[in-house]
Amino acid sequence: MSQENLYGEISDAIVNLNEDKARELANKAIDENFNILNVIEEGFGAGIRRVGELWDAGEFFLPELMRGAKIMQDCLDLLIPHLQGGIERKTLGKVVIATIEGDIHSIGKTIVATMLRAYGFEVYDLGADVPAEKIIDEAIEKNVDIIGVSALLTTTMLGQKKVIEILKKKGISNKFKVILGGAPVTSKWVEECGADGYAENAVEAVELAKSLLHI
Amino acid sequence: MLFHDWLKDDSKIILFDGAMGTEIFKRGIEPGKIPDLLNIEKPDIISDIHKSYYDVGSDMCQTCTFGSSSLNLKKYKLEDRIEEINQKALENIKKICPPNSLIVGDIGPSGEFRPPVGNITIEQWQASFANQVKILENGVDLWHIETISDIEEMKTAIKAVKEASKKPIIASMTYKKTPRGYFTIMGDSLKKCIQILEQENVDVIGSNCTIDSNEMIGLIEESVKLTKKPLSAKPNAGQPKIDENYRPFYEYPPNDFARDIHDMINLGVKIVGGCCGTSPQTIKEIRKIIYSL
Repeated sequence: MSQENLYGEISDAIVNLNEDKARELANKAIDENFNILNVIEEGFGAGIRRVGELWDAGEFFLPELMRGAKIMQDCLDLLIPHLQGGIERKTLGKVVIATIEGDIHSIGKTIVATMLRAYGFEVYDLGADVPAEKIIDEAIEKNVDIIGVSALLTTTMLGQKKVIEILKKKGISNKFKVILGGAPVTSKWVEECGADGYAENAVEAVELAKSLLHI
Repeated sequence: MLFHDWLKDDSKIILFDGAMGTEIFKRGIEPGKIPDLLNIEKPDIISDIHKSYYDVGSDMCQTCTFGSSSLNLKKYKLEDRIEEINQKALENIKKICPPNSLIVGDIGPSGEFRPPVGNITIEQWQASFANQVKILENGVDLWHIETISDIEEMKTAIKAVKEASKKPIIASMTYKKTPRGYFTIMGDSLKKCIQILEQENVDVIGSNCTIDSNEMIGLIEESVKLTKKPLSAKPNAGQPKIDENYRPFYEYPPNDFARDIHDMINLGVKIVGGCCGTSPQTIKEIRKIIYSL
């Protein structure tokens, strides 16, 4: 099988949510010593992007999105130790993500975390109802590139602004990119907070994270 | 029973209430982690909000118990107070409910999902809803199971209610509009949900939250083709925004909302009210429209 054909089959396996097939193809890529980085980007990456398009089109819903991302993540765990060059693949970047204090709506944040992981980011998911100070402490400790803050309620989204205010007060706002998420978040709110961006859905969030880190 | 009489009366449009959360905020109270706890901490505020809806013409209002199931309370470490919260919620509405008006027991989603999205089991759902239902059964006239996005969770909640109660059930799913029509985020189509809710033999098939009143007109248009059961509509007043003083507001004016409700009544909807962002002002406008019919 040519490498190009393999990409197409991998992409189809992800879209068909066929876990066995996806793992089989990942193992095949390893056995045949294909360029693993290309397999990840052009096979699995293309597949998960199609999953995102199907979500936008109303063909796929939460269960399909989560399954697709989990299959991809499992396959990446198989592939990454076999990256050529004998060195461990550098992650795309480190992200700490949380739903802000007072807000227990975790599903949107969890989807974004899953998709970021599926694409190769190293993600620290702190869960829901997390104080701004704790998010920042973790960001510093883990030396992350991006801080993601989710809020579903208009009453808790003020906490997103608080994260940025604390970063400024500590004089470390230039060390991190801050991205916001949640139903009430708009571009105007992002501007108001001085955040670096927001995304309408998990697929866009991945694109946003990549563009902020110039990937 | 009054509710059944209303359902049978072709000339009767039943007016439900509007939002609770945004009204709490308007009274200068931080909703904090869960508005349901205010049933204990600020009971007068909760009673006052219910009263404001009955005063402008709501035929029925729902208890402030959207998040008072065991699974949901557990997230706030309040599961031990389930009895106290639901009991107080009943007292807060009972003491101001006018004659010939009804009290609706509000059951919201558990906030937990089945695999692959989450890890919950049907049995855990069932136990969680059952705990809440058995307390509220002691004072409500009927039930509103609402804002549910997984039809399996809805089936479980209906089962839990029916095991403890013979009172009427309004079962409201929450849908988003996709290029392929109305679906829940879990992928249940409007058609599938209506079919299942018919099989479950609920008294009223409803939809609430997520979409605004304008988008809900289309949903009602499709629903009336799919079922002869009475329908309920409780849409949002647009999407939440934050103003320059960091106060939340909803962009959809009560007049426009009420006009959309008028369209839904013309299509055949039986129960009307509002979800997030609606207020007594919204309900007042709808009452005017119902009087004018």
